Amino acid sequence: MSEPNESGQAGMLDQPVSRRGLFVLLGFAGLATAAGVLTPIIAYIWPPKQEGDQAGEPVAVASTLDLPPGKGQVYSVNNRPVIVINTPEGIKALSAVCTHLGCIVYWDEQRSAIACPCHAAFFSTNGDVISGPPPDPLPVYPVQVVGDQIYVEGGSS
Amino acid sequence: MESATKRRRSERVGDWFDERFNVRGPLETFLKKPVPKHALRWYFCLGGITFSLFVIQGVTGILLSLYYKPTPEDAYDSILFIMNNVRFGWLIRSIHSWSATLMIAACLAHMLRVFITGSYKKPRELNWVAGVVLLLLTLVFGFTGYLLPWDQKALWGSTVGSEILGVVPFVGEQLLALLRGSPDITGLTLTRFYGIHMLVLPLATFVFLGFHFIVIRRQGISGPL
Repeated sequence: MSEPNESGQAGMLDQPVSRRGLFVLLGFAGLATAAGVLTPIIAYIWPPKQEGDQAGEPVAVASTLDLPPGKGQVYSVNNRPVIVINTPEGIKALSAVCTHLGCIVYWDEQRSAIACPCHAAFFSTNGDVISGPPPDPLPVYPVQVVGDQIYVEGGSS
Repeated sequence: MESATKRRRSERVGDWFDERFNVRGPLETFLKKPVPKHALRWYFCLGGITFSLFVIQGVTGILLSLYYKPTPEDAYDSILFIMNNVRFGWLIRSIHSWSATLMIAACLAHMLRVFITGSYKKPRELNWVAGVVLLLLTLVFGFTGYLLPWDQKALWGSTVGSEILGVVPFVGEQLLALLRGSPDITGLTLTRFYGIHMLVLPLATFVFLGFHFIVIRRQGISGPL
């Protein structure tokens, strides 16, 4: 530290700044400015929070009146597609995202199977692969029926 | 060889490009052109400030387009989503809104400077004309952008504003219908204004800005008073 200046403080401003030191300071100022601009922009484009992003509580998807026996339908549960099918063994819910390449599956009523439109894959109502390229079965989600309301748990990965 | 190894890395990168494109000479003349002494005053920065605000509008506008939905059903909700759910969405949208107003003010201030210093006179008449076109483009930017939030203020503001076109003699009604895309302000007007705001005006502004800047470098700025 240099000698105290008139106000009694160690005078940082009294010391000459070298050319190199100035460039370092300018560099820091530039970096700080860039960070101040880029931080909000990156935070802005980062996917924002939406309702239902945190899975947990069962979600009411439909009424049993909307889903008579033999029918199946894809619903959004916690922002994820879930296929709900009214099978002879009761109502079942499975992930509607094909395990092959991520297409959204649909209920093929005539074949009584879950079908993928992209590569003609078929799944049973238990999620097992019947035919086609998918490497894994579809995940099954718990279903509750209260009154005539169908509740599905999960959906979030 | 020895001198080449002594050169700094940044210079060596420049050498690599210069060897291939031979641009160092012209680029240095372009970048190192001195600003005349009489122009080293704050009021000679107004044009540059206007351009800076235009760049800010471009960046924040692109960011807003990531979340904005130009339909009557979704427009207002998407604005609420930007303001409440998107991180720093309030900041980006507010900068876009404030910078729009400031850009028009900066345009007018720049124009006033050019007028007072007589810079519009021969041989710079056409650059004044280009500047007037840029002012009009900026105003249309503001007018079309005003409708996009699709709230009450936007709807009635655009209704009253576009109504002015209707009093043009003989062809007013047709012009009004052309602008709105329907007899009243509807979803058709919204997508129309959105297209003008997002595509037509930016492209037109690039063309006239390019002309404006090239002419300035070609003619130099006007002399001292």
